[in-house]
Amino acid sequence: MRMTPDVDAPSKRTRSVPTGDIAMSCRVRLARNLEDERFPDWATERDRDRVFAKVRSALAAEKTGLTLKPVTSFAEQHLNMLRESHLISKDLLERAAGGGIAYAEKSPVCVMVNEEDHLRIQGFSDGLDMRSAWRRADALDTLLERHLNYAWSPRLGYLTACPSNVGTGLRAGTMLHLLGLRLLGEIEAVVRGLERMRLLVRGIGGEGSEAAGQIYQISNMDTLGVDEEAIVLRVMRISEEVVRQEYNARVRLIQESPLVLVDCLARSLCVLQNARLLSTVEALEFLSAMRLGASLGLFTRLKVQEVDKLILLMQPGHMQIGMDAALMSDERDEMRAGLLSRKLANVKLKC
Amino acid sequence: MKCEMCHEADAATVIRKSVADEMQEFFVCQDCADKEVHRETPHVSPPIPSLGETNGGAGVPLMGMVLDAAFEIVGRSLNLKEPACPVCGILRDEYRKRSRLGCPACYEAFSKELDTAIVDLHRATQHTGKTPEKARAAWHRQQLASALEDAVKGQRYEEAIALRDQLSILNGSETAKGGSPQ
Repeated sequence: MRMTPDVDAPSKRTRSVPTGDIAMSCRVRLARNLEDERFPDWATERDRDRVFAKVRSALAAEKTGLTLKPVTSFAEQHLNMLRESHLISKDLLERAAGGGIAYAEKSPVCVMVNEEDHLRIQGFSDGLDMRSAWRRADALDTLLERHLNYAWSPRLGYLTACPSNVGTGLRAGTMLHLLGLRLLGEIEAVVRGLERMRLLVRGIGGEGSEAAGQIYQISNMDTLGVDEEAIVLRVMRISEEVVRQEYNARVRLIQESPLVLVDCLARSLCVLQNARLLSTVEALEFLSAMRLGASLGLFTRLKVQEVDKLILLMQPGHMQIGMDAALMSDERDEMRAGLLSRKLANVKLKC
Repeated sequence: MKCEMCHEADAATVIRKSVADEMQEFFVCQDCADKEVHRETPHVSPPIPSLGETNGGAGVPLMGMVLDAAFEIVGRSLNLKEPACPVCGILRDEYRKRSRLGCPACYEAFSKELDTAIVDLHRATQHTGKTPEKARAAWHRQQLASALEDAVKGQRYEEAIALRDQLSILNGSETAKGGSPQ
């Protein structure tokens, strides 16, 4: 069947782009270590266990609502699910011995123990509300500090396993969906600009990962010589500027290259509704287009929040938890294709 | 770093021993290392590590382990020209390979080269921002104690009395707060 989209339609039917759709979430992470203890990479198992016990006592002494559990006490699927939800890092899973996770369902804070540093305290928030993420991480850090002796020096601040985190130990990051800039071929210039401003730009999986689905994490590079509020404010302001650029790119796509946009959406919907096998990366690429279309109001019966939910549900850990079974890679690809085809069966392109 | 057995003297060596069927490393002082060897092998003299020595006591597993540890110590001692952290013992080469420091004290031990790297990384040399209250108090106490010692050595007694009073006030306020919960 040949599709002849009404290329003028998008500009007529598109509602204004909510910037919240572009900024998916944000996070503030604080790296902390205990004095008189070796950093995790050089610690023996006994050292790591001792640190784990100290942090567990500190968490139990305050009403944080968090309970620290060893990484080894979680099922593999559960760990993958936490990883896919960006609550824990791949690094923590690789270091399993002595590692711990303190989190609670729907809690906006989480602590990783014996990752690269003894503690990685994280605060989360929606969109670009980074101040809330910072306040959450800061409050938990202050509570824990009552019971833990942090490694700190007046000159270098919080001492961390890697000198790239020394000082505030703070990494403030936003997760942005930048498909519009990609379709216009402008993403590379934006990334170069961000790097010139001493910001780190990474893919959805964090350090060393590709920006699959055109989802980027933007975070501060410098942690020393600037205070926490200033770091958070700077990352927030620059992220707002990137969101504005993405918004403008989307407007230009609709006005100047509607065929490119509609073609991308139509192809993605077609594949997701009909494919029999889909890998995670492949599915994420197509869902990224669906997310853009939903944000622009170009699909019937599809909201951005629903696409975000699908992005999580179709990942290996979430799928295996959903099926309550360990699945082989090709089994997962088949089930993923089936899941997305069912969930998107009634969705139609408006133009 | 303190000895993991007596918890008093500074650790000077490392031994390996089996605990509940699991081989573990212990950082111990020389006395505890000697005692451990005598306790396990009462008729065998403590090993004198030497690069040419082979483990003839194949029937005494602990001896092999102690020798392994000794070789490691000798190996390290051959690299003594390489700066090592006095607390965790890692060498410059080791932390360079893994890009991770061994412990908080490494920042002081490798300060010469680290300070340059830190300026390259952050374009700054001084922390600005949050300060943990306990760490700040401990640092202040350490500064006062050091100044007091200098004043006494220099026979500047009026200054020493003033510093001692400041220290007492600081210690008093810490006691009133209930001290460290840890």
